[in-house]
Amino acid sequence: MPSYDLQINGQAYTVEAEAAMPLLWVLRDLLGLTGTKFSCGMGLCGSCTVLIDGEPARSCVTLVESATGKDITTIEGLSPGVSHPLQEAWLEEHVTQCGYCQPGQIMNAAALLQKNPHPTDAEIDVAMEDALCRCGTYQRVRKAIHRAAEEV
Amino acid sequence: MKNQLNRRDFIKLVGTAGGGLILAVYLDACASDAPIPATVTPLSPTSTPRPPFDWAPNIYLKMDQEGILTVYAFRSDMGQGIRTAIAMLIAEELDVEWSSVRIEQSPTDPRYGDQLTGGSVSISSHYSGLRLAGAVARQMLVEAAADVWDADPAGCTTEAGFVIHPDKQQKIPYGELVEAAAKKDVPDQTKIKDASAYRIVGTGKGHWDAPQIVSGKAIYGIDVRVPGMLFAVIARCPVFGGTFTSYDDSAAKTVPGVRQIVALDKSIAVVAENTWAAIQGRNALKVTWDEGRNASLSSEELRSAAKGRLPQLGSNDKVMDAVYEIPFEAHATMEPMNCTAYVHDETCEVWAPTQNPQAVQTQVAAATRISPPAVIVNVPLIGGAFGRRIQTDYAVEAALVSQAIGAPVQVVWTRDDDIQHDFYHDMSVHYASVVREKINIPRLQSSGSRSPVPTGAWRSVENFPQAYPTQCFIDEVAFELKRDPLDLRLELYSSRAAEVIKLAAEKAEWGKSLPAGQGQGLAYHATFGVTHVAYVAEVAVDEEGGVHVRRVVAAVDCGEVINPDNVAAQIEGGIVFGLTAAIKAEATLKDGRIQQSNFHDYPILKMNEMPLVEVYIVESDQRPSGMGEMGVPPIAPAVANAVFAATGKRIRHIPIRPEDLRA
Repeated sequence: MPSYDLQINGQAYTVEAEAAMPLLWVLRDLLGLTGTKFSCGMGLCGSCTVLIDGEPARSCVTLVESATGKDITTIEGLSPGVSHPLQEAWLEEHVTQCGYCQPGQIMNAAALLQKNPHPTDAEIDVAMEDALCRCGTYQRVRKAIHRAAEEV
Repeated sequence: MKNQLNRRDFIKLVGTAGGGLILAVYLDACASDAPIPATVTPLSPTSTPRPPFDWAPNIYLKMDQEGILTVYAFRSDMGQGIRTAIAMLIAEELDVEWSSVRIEQSPTDPRYGDQLTGGSVSISSHYSGLRLAGAVARQMLVEAAADVWDADPAGCTTEAGFVIHPDKQQKIPYGELVEAAAKKDVPDQTKIKDASAYRIVGTGKGHWDAPQIVSGKAIYGIDVRVPGMLFAVIARCPVFGGTFTSYDDSAAKTVPGVRQIVALDKSIAVVAENTWAAIQGRNALKVTWDEGRNASLSSEELRSAAKGRLPQLGSNDKVMDAVYEIPFEAHATMEPMNCTAYVHDETCEVWAPTQNPQAVQTQVAAATRISPPAVIVNVPLIGGAFGRRIQTDYAVEAALVSQAIGAPVQVVWTRDDDIQHDFYHDMSVHYASVVREKINIPRLQSSGSRSPVPTGAWRSVENFPQAYPTQCFIDEVAFELKRDPLDLRLELYSSRAAEVIKLAAEKAEWGKSLPAGQGQGLAYHATFGVTHVAYVAEVAVDEEGGVHVRRVVAAVDCGEVINPDNVAAQIEGGIVFGLTAAIKAEATLKDGRIQQSNFHDYPILKMNEMPLVEVYIVESDQRPSGMGEMGVPPIAPAVANAVFAATGKRIRHIPIRPEDLRA
């Protein structure tokens, strides 16, 4: 089985995995980083979003080998504690309901703010369009992104 | 009157506390307005370390010597916020700081009564008991402190985790009192708070689990990890009621990481070292299915049969009538069904994201032939449920796979498993009628699919198919009578119903002029007859027939509000859930199987389709009446009515599609 060197949340990991295994399952089942969620398996819902070199990536359709040598950030590595402006804004705006999609929402939003520190509603719509939430937290996600943008 | 606790509440509590005493309750407010005094009465000599001690005065809570209150959540939280609400009620009566509160999920225990979380009744059915659970504990702490001071307990007050001396000059932290409180009898008198003394109830507390959630540390069912566990994915017959006749697992067994193939009664589990390998193994499995007698069933056939069971449209001159159609709906929880189980030594431990842990215990016990008390059910956090997780199918199959392989296993459903093997909200057809001479709330005659398609509770259950035809048809009647839909509703509804209808209409500026292609629509429903919700939806319909819901103004009367911010969240969420059904997704049956499989063909509402939602909550001193499901029912009719206002087209089915509205 091939072996891969991964840089995740500033830490080096070596994993043995099938070449076709998506990064999602490497994170969840091989490394125990379960904050990144499985939901659709087809890159449709955004629950599995991580940052790869700062870009949002759907880890359920990202092959592990394509992530080697790159800087991978998962929800666990977004901040020490709960201190990222987005995490703080999420708590202030009482965004979470079931919470399952929220790590993916936050990682999508983090990628957005890195590129665009003060997004408009329309820009948020575009960036967050494929981050699905069945509980319907969208209005608060939007507010939290604006709130965090003020902090950045 | 919310301070009057009936005798049944006492018996419930005494039964759980085991003290055999009858509690009498009187109603004085117990919180003190005086500032907390500075002098802390020293109790324990610091030189003598004592073993840690937790005081558990009843099954709802425990307190440690640091004064940390742990509340046992005995209902399942799937996003509706019940863990937090239970803790808020207990913490309020116990008078602790919110920061001192911890929440643990309770085990299954018949002393909690039925632990099925459904029907939006967790608070309404436990309101008094939870308050008493906290109030009794508070009283025992007060008596323990009064002993220390040799003071009159009746003169002592409490605030923020301290008992305060009658002279207001001394105080003792709760943590220092727990050992003495534990020796106290359950009191025969206690006080519960008046609403004027609330410090926690009625304040926005969000969800207690939120910090864990936003940092990725929260453990959902699918995140459970047990040493030595394997992962399984199951091949199920795509046709409802079918089974396998044979299978060839030779290719599946060559998939790296696949450990074992396990045949269950009607399905086949592929067990592997990780979820991905299990999915690949299932893909490689060659199964010959016996699709059985349902292999030709279709939605069209079922809908047509359901219509045939209802009166013919226009067959009675004395009535106005219309027929409305609702398709099968899937739950599509973001966390797919999953369960982790470990059967060993005549016991079974399961980690089930379930709304129904006692049924999981019973059903797993029956399937594995293990005695129910030896089935331990842990309920982790739940990534959405909406009624789907009342069913126990996914827990039973996990237990059976574990039993077969002799190792802990997590059965994971892929998204297509989830969409295609749901317990669907049933398809239904509704004949709505009103007698012309006696205009009243429409009469509904309804028919479901009566099919082998598995059906079950779907957020708001029967209320969605009641509200949609009823509220659409009221608008049709108003139009025929040349009445304003608001005025007609105010004639048909009274008291709390009329109040929320008026409030929503007023806040939405009902009747304001809008550009061509836009319209307002009104709808009202009392879900389960208890929580009153009215919506005014503002809709724009584009040239392609696309429906854009721009704004929804909501008015809600749910009785006393525990966590107001969460009431608003449940309305926002109910609107989103209902909008998916109203304008986006349906599950259709063809050849005995569900045709949709993932979010590309079962599209749930997205961020860019989210209306601006404004929520107005009616102040009330009625007992809390529940909020988990109440936001769903009125949105589909409010949107359908707004679409008519915008386009002049009556669409009598959902979802409303662009082709319905294209000019």
